Amino acid sequence: MPIIETINLYKTYKDQTSEVHAVDNVNISIAEGEFTAIVGPSGSGKTTLLNLIGGLDTPTSGNLFIDGQDISRLKPKEMVDFRLHHIGFVFQSFNLIPVLSAKENVAFVMELQGRKKGERDTRAQELLEAVGLGDRANSRPSKLSGGQQQRVAVARALASKPKFILADEPTANLDSKSAENLLDMMEKLNQKENITFVFSTHDPRIMSKARRIITLEDGKIINDIVK
Amino acid sequence: MKITLMLMRLSWKNIWRNKFRSILILSAIAIGLFAGTFTVAFIAGWGRATIETEICNQLSHTQIHTPDFSYNYDINSYFLEDRIAPVVDSVTHLNSVSYRLKLYGVLASASNTVGTFVHAIDPEEEKATTTIYQYIPDSLGTFLEKDKLPIVISQRTAKKLNARLKTKVVLSLQDVNGDMQSVAFRVGGIFKTNNSMFDESTIFVRKSDILPYTGLPEGVAHEAAILASNVSTGKEITKALGKALPDMDVQGWNELQPALRLIHAWTDLINVIILSIFLVALSFGIVNTMLMAVLERTKELGVLACIGMNKRNIFKMVMFETLCLTVVGSGIGILLASWVIGYTGEHGIDLGFMLNANYERFGFSSVVYPILETRAFLEIIALVVITGIISAIYPARKALKINSWEATKC
Repeated sequence: MPIIETINLYKTYKDQTSEVHAVDNVNISIAEGEFTAIVGPSGSGKTTLLNLIGGLDTPTSGNLFIDGQDISRLKPKEMVDFRLHHIGFVFQSFNLIPVLSAKENVAFVMELQGRKKGERDTRAQELLEAVGLGDRANSRPSKLSGGQQQRVAVARALASKPKFILADEPTANLDSKSAENLLDMMEKLNQKENITFVFSTHDPRIMSKARRIITLEDGKIINDIVK
Repeated sequence: MKITLMLMRLSWKNIWRNKFRSILILSAIAIGLFAGTFTVAFIAGWGRATIETEICNQLSHTQIHTPDFSYNYDINSYFLEDRIAPVVDSVTHLNSVSYRLKLYGVLASASNTVGTFVHAIDPEEEKATTTIYQYIPDSLGTFLEKDKLPIVISQRTAKKLNARLKTKVVLSLQDVNGDMQSVAFRVGGIFKTNNSMFDESTIFVRKSDILPYTGLPEGVAHEAAILASNVSTGKEITKALGKALPDMDVQGWNELQPALRLIHAWTDLINVIILSIFLVALSFGIVNTMLMAVLERTKELGVLACIGMNKRNIFKMVMFETLCLTVVGSGIGILLASWVIGYTGEHGIDLGFMLNANYERFGFSSVVYPILETRAFLEIIALVVITGIISAIYPARKALKINSWEATKC
């Protein structure tokens, strides 16, 4: 069973005179353990599709299944809860909580899930070690480099034990070396832990590492290549 | 509950993200609350001092007269002490009572004449009931203790009559038959209160000295002035005596001196106005600060929503931040106000240097002792916290309207 499946997915924006199909009849199926990049020019609908897959927006029509559950009709409150337990996010600008340490940032999601302190602390430390930052657990984001912050963001995304991780331009604000390191780390997690990653990106480095590339244009899938 | 505690911890950390701004708003809340509370205490202290001064100096908490005397101050409108005393003595919370004769008269010295209102009293009863004897400096005699036919007059009256201690003065008054009687007294004491109108119109003589010249029988009085243990028991006594003596005119201090009742009402009203102004200003300050805090953190709040923090928790977090600011700021303000009110309440604030003489003409003391009851303190704290909560609602609602995904891209 695919982790992510869209069937005839549409997202249409209307103004007084016209309709714009930001996502136009998209049908994709992403299996567990895939390392997929969604690419396309600006305005192609990448962000809108990612919003829909991440449960941050609702489709105009069609169905969206996450691990077999149709989330396209969930109420906003149910959607927040669904995101908390099933989807991990990595953002372009890291977006860590500046007043919390690296470890607290990772543990934060688990705290929202209501997990016990001991479990939170152990898992947060394990995840930081997995992303190579075990020794920076008590550092605030302001004391970490961009690459290190993005690693913490990946650890935070993994903390909730999600079905997949949605990464929006995760290397856009990193220098080449940091970007390479981050991608290597993600690839390793994907291969070792079978964690599913879905990227929205322009970055050729991600495209070169991705094992599947879905290309969007005007809201439609124009290419879907599995390497 | 665990999430709530976590949100509280996070809110506290968020407050200190912008230390300067937080200290500024904390100081504004603390100083505002201090100023508001102290002003309320100052006005309450002034009002209470004015009322208590009047009550202690001459009015007492309750007075009993015959209805006719209240109407025309007629010398013949007296009552028998033996009839009233058992009823008065039976009430609870009674401190003391002074039975007085009150007569209009003219006081003359060798150089001048003044119209006056004679308080013919028993000195011991009067001392137990009013504090007027305390207004006679040691160097200016005693309160009807020594000498034959002593009279106690005010410094103002003494000045008008060009009289000093031991000066002979003649008091003329009408007896029960309407005939003029004149009695020679010697000035035995000179007092000065803060109420110059009272000073100018009042003299004291012993009841036993004047009685033979009035034609009144023994054991009568025009007025029973009753001192209770405090203002609230005074109200109870007035009520109880009013029921027990339906044919008499039983009045509380607020009926005897409507101006005092007005002061009482005005101090409450002014306090409400001052507090309202403070709370509105506080509310604007909080809304402004929290709105800035929310708008500055649009991206972060968007991220929190993305990763699964529900709207209720985002709302709670912003509310906690506001509450932390309000509670800490008002805590500092209240502590400061408690200390200053405690100190000035004990030592008083002398406003004599900025008030003119007319102020004291109306019985207002130039020394104010600020006071604020615990209940009023708690009410102010509650009002501040409620204002904080209400003010936080708009910024918190603003936080809920942030578009999560778009916000993360800012």
